[in-house]
Amino acid sequence: MENTAKKFTTKKEFFKQYKKKSRLQEIWRSFLKNKLAVVGLVLFALIIIVAIAAPLIANYNNAAIKVNVQGRLSAPNAEHMFGTDEMGRDIFARIVHGARISLVVGLSAVAIALFVGGAFGAIAGFFGGMVDNVIMRCMDVFLCLPDVLLALAIVAAFGTNQLNMTIAIGLSFTPKFSRVVRSAVMTVRGIEYVEAARAIGATNTQIITKHILINCIGPIIVQVTLYVASAILTISALSFIGLGIQAPIPEWGNMLASGRAYMRDHAYIVMAPGLAIFVTILSLNLLGDGLRDALDPRLKQ
Amino acid sequence: MDIKKVNEKGNTLEIKNLVIHYVSEDEVVKAVNGVDITIASGKTLGLVGETGAGKTTTALSILNLVPDPQGKIISGEVLLEGKNVLTMSDSELEELRGDKVAMIFQDPMTSLNPVLTVGDQIAEGLEIHRKISKGEALKQAKEMLELVGIPAERAGEYPYQFSGGMKQRVVIAIALACSPDLLIADEPTTALDVTIQAQVLILINDLKQKYHMSMLMITHDLGIVAEVCDEVSIVYAGRILEHGTLEDIFDNMRHPYTKGLFGALPDIEVRRTELKPIKGLMPDPTNLPSGCPFHPRCDYAMEVCSKLPPETKWLSDTHCVECHLYKDTNESML
Repeated sequence: MENTAKKFTTKKEFFKQYKKKSRLQEIWRSFLKNKLAVVGLVLFALIIIVAIAAPLIANYNNAAIKVNVQGRLSAPNAEHMFGTDEMGRDIFARIVHGARISLVVGLSAVAIALFVGGAFGAIAGFFGGMVDNVIMRCMDVFLCLPDVLLALAIVAAFGTNQLNMTIAIGLSFTPKFSRVVRSAVMTVRGIEYVEAARAIGATNTQIITKHILINCIGPIIVQVTLYVASAILTISALSFIGLGIQAPIPEWGNMLASGRAYMRDHAYIVMAPGLAIFVTILSLNLLGDGLRDALDPRLKQ
Repeated sequence: MDIKKVNEKGNTLEIKNLVIHYVSEDEVVKAVNGVDITIASGKTLGLVGETGAGKTTTALSILNLVPDPQGKIISGEVLLEGKNVLTMSDSELEELRGDKVAMIFQDPMTSLNPVLTVGDQIAEGLEIHRKISKGEALKQAKEMLELVGIPAERAGEYPYQFSGGMKQRVVIAIALACSPDLLIADEPTTALDVTIQAQVLILINDLKQKYHMSMLMITHDLGIVAEVCDEVSIVYAGRILEHGTLEDIFDNMRHPYTKGLFGALPDIEVRRTELKPIKGLMPDPTNLPSGCPFHPRCDYAMEVCSKLPPETKWLSDTHCVECHLYKDTNESML
């Protein structure tokens, strides 16, 4: 008995060298096949690098917020790559520093939505029945409100600052995440290994965290990338209407808003922040779509 | 091996008059209709029956894992070493599952978590029940892997890197990690091919003897029963129609259904004989026939069969049958 088992194992080892490809590697390979997704990944990585290295690229105090009336509204030139705005501030420096706010607020808002919404969704999906009904109907109420409107209400009620805006956007995305996590949990909870985990005495908490959520990670990652894009857009929208980041702090949305008056003669003023938003959202959407295709074997050709 | 606590009769498991129904909005599926099972310490009982006879539901009830909103335990007791599992609290159940009773599931392909290493999955039960550190649990998990014939170095690999037979070995290692008193094997070899089946059965048998476990073997393969079981219960439509030792059932089968099951087996000596399948199909569990559930398919059916459910008739100390044919028979007539 012992002997046959040993032999069997070595034979298995022998075949293993031909298919030594982990699941992650496989996902990575099919992700690389999607050229658009790779473009998205590279663009988003660049944006992150720019945001992290912002102080090295442009001086915040001297270029991004210092008013310089003599040099106002100059078109893009050698000194000012994207030109200067109505107060003579370098638009390039403002875009670079604006990326920090967009990314920090966008990512932390989605993190809030993921943890709050994910927890509710996981509980609803796992226990089902009455618990599910109560949680999801509450979520449905919030889902009825458009997210900008909900965020707007929260910001208007608690005052406009970066923290409030993050919380507002996070809470307005919460119901969406709870729905995604709930449906992912519901598909996994019926699989036999969940029952097997229960049969060895795992508690509900252990089953949810160790066995269920880890197997739902694919759809969750995809949602996260797509909603970070959506959050960044919401920040800009809120700032544009004056309820988000306040001047003079550079933020793409409020740059658009303040540049609006000069748009007719100095189009570059709104073009730069507009393009920044566009590229960021595009890169995240391409990345999210690519990840979804790579993680979902059914969509493979 | 620690000395097992057993109740005064020395039985690891006693199921008394268990009735389980699955209730949905418009129908009631009568899955288990009064099952009695007794497994003595260290013995193996084979639960044999067709698909849908209520075998798995009975097994799940031992862990109190009958699917919750639909599955209703109407009556009965499941006594594990004298304590009723069906009235235990959640925390008592969590202590019991995996430690006292472990289960080997039917399909190793789906009963392992694809994103955890096999070592982690074996260690999980040990961490829960033995209250030991992760490192220590992993060390013991590796010993368990060796025990089921897989090199310990493979503990860090994921289930997809194993073949079906090896996955089932991993599942067995998980079940045996805490050396349970009772092992429930729910068709452990159904998903495996025949050569691997033999290996896995030998393994289960060896380990059962090594740890002096009691076992409930659920199967529809009479060959497996002959190989591993001490006693056999034949289940049909949620009732046990015949029960006895291996000899009672294989050599002195009494119930027409048991005879039908054996008649449906191919004979290796006489290859040209035609198989004799039991006519008809399993009854619809939402609408069971009156009287004896087997009477519409039974060649010996009498008038009384459709009217009255047969009573359990003990033909000897070990052999009982539920059939009107044997109502007036006694031991000396056999």
